[in-house]
Amino acid sequence: MNKYSRLLGTVGAAALAVLVANPALADGTAAGTTITNTVTVNYQVGGVSQTATGASNSFAVDRKVSMTVAEVGSSATQVSPGATKQVTTFTVTNNSNATLDFALTAGQLSGGAGAHGGTDSFDVTNVKIYIDTNNDGDYDDGVDQEVTYIDELGPDLNRTIFVVTDVPLSLTTGSVATVSLTATGREGGGAGSQGAALSETNTGSANEVDAMFVDTVFADAAGSDDSLGDGAHSARDDYSVLAAALTVVKRSKVISDPVNGTTNPKAIPGATIEYCISVANAAGSATASSVAISDPLPATVTYDSTYGIFVDGSVTSGECDANGSAGGSYDSGTSTVTGTLSSIAATETKTLRFRATID
Amino acid sequence: MKSNWMAALASAALLALSPTMATAQTAQPIELKGDVKVSKLVVENGKERQVLSEPKVVVPGDRLIFSTSYRNNGSETVRNFIVTNPIPNGVMLAPEGAEAHSVSVDGGKTWGKLASLSVSNGDGATRPAVAGDVTHVRWVLPEVAPGAEGKVTYNAIVR
Repeated sequence: MNKYSRLLGTVGAAALAVLVANPALADGTAAGTTITNTVTVNYQVGGVSQTATGASNSFAVDRKVSMTVAEVGSSATQVSPGATKQVTTFTVTNNSNATLDFALTAGQLSGGAGAHGGTDSFDVTNVKIYIDTNNDGDYDDGVDQEVTYIDELGPDLNRTIFVVTDVPLSLTTGSVATVSLTATGREGGGAGSQGAALSETNTGSANEVDAMFVDTVFADAAGSDDSLGDGAHSARDDYSVLAAALTVVKRSKVISDPVNGTTNPKAIPGATIEYCISVANAAGSATASSVAISDPLPATVTYDSTYGIFVDGSVTSGECDANGSAGGSYDSGTSTVTGTLSSIAATETKTLRFRATID
Repeated sequence: MKSNWMAALASAALLALSPTMATAQTAQPIELKGDVKVSKLVVENGKERQVLSEPKVVVPGDRLIFSTSYRNNGSETVRNFIVTNPIPNGVMLAPEGAEAHSVSVDGGKTWGKLASLSVSNGDGATRPAVAGDVTHVRWVLPEVAPGAEGKVTYNAIVR
């Protein structure tokens, strides 16, 4: 308000100090910087050179609080049911013109559209926030530290933040859990502890046209889970479950009987039965590995130890092929056949075959 | 005697001072007044309107209008009136309207229209200057008659 005007005394022909050109500044003049516009006027009166200077009133650049939370990558983190320490990655950038702390909170959606398609259908557990301590962009278990805030983040600087969670069991392919990360600006200045909450002070009166008075202005955009100009910003990312979807079919056929031999055999006492357990993995599923099969035999049949057990065979047109490799085992104590199939990829089917005789 | 001597000394001092003050006022006929306003676009009834306000709350990206008013309070015409305005640290000349000014991008050594100037790009070559490179703005008036007044302004953006 105080217009600054003055009549200056004679400066005479003294050489003017040329002001040094301002260096290239990073975006965002630091809060508290005083700006004064000063002019120099040179003129002549009656052929005699004169000089005068005049300046505008000074004002301080106020504190602009702005930050961006962004998801790293543009797709959901694919997880298996039961997986632990699954990571979604975000960056938090300080767009303010001052050093600030940023409080970090992770949230979970309750239904609604996921960040990358699908619908939020479950919650992850054991949600923790880690900072990329060694700044390599990847979550390093045991190296990156668990945090609740970013300490002393300077203007234009950013940190990588990981939200690390566990995935419950019994989830089907396509299940989505959406998590959000919100960063809220806090006072900077004290390393090692989270600063106080910020509030806007841009409702000042006229006497705040003071070179020393620094207001605080919230200039942040609206994020996924916060509002425009609330001193916070947020983004979301998804966990997308890719499970194996296994279908088990048990088939049996009569191979031979004591009367007809192998020609049109009947299931009569003494007949040999071949059992085939097939395991199919649906299209679009995760590869299933170490698929263990356990089949207790009924008391009315006897395991055929001379034929043995074959695993990883195939199925053609609904019939088990006579292939596979010897494997598995039979426990005579429990009359149970067990075997383990190797990895079953999506759309693949593998079998376990063995034979028994009817008592 | 004593009091007379004191009076004589006082009047001598006054006499000695008076010519100096008189000289100063006749030699400095120009009155300058600087001002700065924040320029914000507000939307009212669907129409954008420029609103100027005191710089109470100013953050990077805000637009400012710096002005310097001058007036010739003397009795003689002032000639070769040159207003030289270094761009303050923390602000840059606004690109809009920058071409209308006589500017310098080298600390006031050389002057010209922005389009005619170039700056070093750091590896020995040069590139055309942009508004953000401007270090000084100046206005040159051939003369300012006694009693004449005016105002020079430029638009700036807080870096």
